[in-house]
Amino acid sequence: MTQSVGQEQGIYLHQVTLVRNERTVIDQLSLQLSEPRIGLIGHNGSGKSSLLRLINGLLPANTGQISVFGQNPNSGPENMSSHVGFIFQNPDHQIIFPTVEEELCFGLLNQGLSKSTALENVMSFLSEQGRSDWAKRPIHSLSDGQKQWVCIVAIILMNPKVILLDEPFSALDLPTRYQLLDLLHHLPQQIIMISHELDSFTDFDRIIWLEEGKIRQDGPADEILKAYYADAKRVRVR
Amino acid sequence: MQDKSLVQIALYAALIAALGLIPPVPFVTGIPITAQTLGVMLAGVMLGPWRGALSMALFIFVVALGAPLLSGGRGGLGVFVGPTAGFAIGFPFAAFATGYVALMLRKLPTFPATLLASIVGGILVLYVFGITGFKLVTGRDWLDATKIMIVFIPGDIVKAVIAAAVAQAVVKGLPDAVYTRK
Amino acid sequence: MISLYLEQTSYLHRMPAGIKLLAMAGLSLALYPIEQLSLLLVLAMLTLLIYASLGRPAMRGLKVFRSLVPIFALIFIMQAWSVGVYEAFALLLRMATLVLIANLITLTTKMDDMMTAMMPIFRPLRLFGVDPKRIAFAVTLLIRFIPVLMGVTQYLLEAWKSRGGGRQLWKLAIPLTIQSIRLSDHVAEALASRGGIRSVKKP
Repeated sequence: MTQSVGQEQGIYLHQVTLVRNERTVIDQLSLQLSEPRIGLIGHNGSGKSSLLRLINGLLPANTGQISVFGQNPNSGPENMSSHVGFIFQNPDHQIIFPTVEEELCFGLLNQGLSKSTALENVMSFLSEQGRSDWAKRPIHSLSDGQKQWVCIVAIILMNPKVILLDEPFSALDLPTRYQLLDLLHHLPQQIIMISHELDSFTDFDRIIWLEEGKIRQDGPADEILKAYYADAKRVRVR
Repeated sequence: MQDKSLVQIALYAALIAALGLIPPVPFVTGIPITAQTLGVMLAGVMLGPWRGALSMALFIFVVALGAPLLSGGRGGLGVFVGPTAGFAIGFPFAAFATGYVALMLRKLPTFPATLLASIVGGILVLYVFGITGFKLVTGRDWLDATKIMIVFIPGDIVKAVIAAAVAQAVVKGLPDAVYTRK
Repeated sequence: MISLYLEQTSYLHRMPAGIKLLAMAGLSLALYPIEQLSLLLVLAMLTLLIYASLGRPAMRGLKVFRSLVPIFALIFIMQAWSVGVYEAFALLLRMATLVLIANLITLTTKMDDMMTAMMPIFRPLRLFGVDPKRIAFAVTLLIRFIPVLMGVTQYLLEAWKSRGGGRQLWKLAIPLTIQSIRLSDHVAEALASRGGIRSVKKP
């Protein structure tokens, strides 16, 4: 694989360091992220969320280079939004509009679609999912799981190359979690996800275990999850 | 993030609406103290004069559009022709003055600075608008209008003290969040 | 949920918002110099008749008056004491009629239509480089986040009560303020991640 072609296609970090409030959150990290399904694990404060925010430009790196499908995230999250979709933990922090239909149209309007085309896309997606009646529903009448579904669909409609998810299921019950995982599983997009529910990573291609802003372990899902689980248990016994 | 100020302005206005939900506390004068004018004072302190004023203007605009966001579920155009119209219209100006004075006093410790700012903005400036509005609607003279309004002042002084206490607590918890104390 | 608007159709609902607003402005000016109690009484009755013609839900809309009772009573007492009972009644009727008429417009006009009718006020802001569309977006954000923050308030109130509570309810303003600041950081992040408000700037 030649460097230039590779840089157009994937996500590359080279010697990236991020300092927040005088604390080194990401420490000289170099990574190449090209697998379709990548999981990020690690304790709270290990730098997982910061890593995702570096990729879509919400946090600018202090040193090092990042290339995301040939683009530099330092250009700001607004400019990264056509390549990178971001799902946050709490749907109530992400949904901007009072009805489902307006919420789903928003990103498409940002991408330059006309109001009528955007609405057409939204309606055809909703009817594919058998949820045409959702269009006019007010957001505050939805459950947390339904709200997170709306957030994910809002991103899918924008058709990014990669979707970043920062603990998207932590407030949801088990059936809802599996439903959303199933939706994500069938997407053509690359997915990079943080989760504390380790069984969410079934069928993932690669797991990266972060600790203090560095890679502790990196490899196939089974192996890394086993090691992480063993380590977490050991910490508790100590 | 280019739109952060706009989000702050809108969410702060939503906070003022939520403050209207906290049950009013009956005070000695028999007139309930609602938390909402507390929010006006805090808007200036938290967001600074310009964004504070804009967020209050937004709030009042949405009230005019028909949202019952003032405490007691009041809202709509009726608010702007009633005897207390001046207060509603004065919200943005009061927030501006509070923020302006708080910035001027930023060398003082948080509590006295925000207390003084809240008294100037949230009471002095707000009552100038309130009394003017009252006079226009009821046709009474200045002295009478002022006399009627005076019963509300003790409650508002309590609110200024509370605003200062809240500002102090927030500065402790989230030092970067309070615009006039950075 | 957070509008006083009545979901129905009537002759007042069909009337354009701009005309209703202009009519209100005209009526307020016309009412101002009227001193005769009889005439004011007739006008107040007429206004109530309009409410009645809109049906039961509109009559229920009259309850907004409840919160005005204390201040009206105060004004009435002051006026009766210093000028006279006749003048006090006249003042009360004039104020009440005005509020009733204004409230009528609120009850019969959708927020969207009201906003469109009021947008011309913001046109001068273009001189300062503010796009009125940004104002519309701010209104949308505000309306969306009111139920969210009201939910937070409700949780805080419950937690407060379940821990014994007490009368110093104002202390709830501290976590509420901190949570709204956090929320606005999150919302700004989420908004930027979806391209900001480009669509609003360039329609």
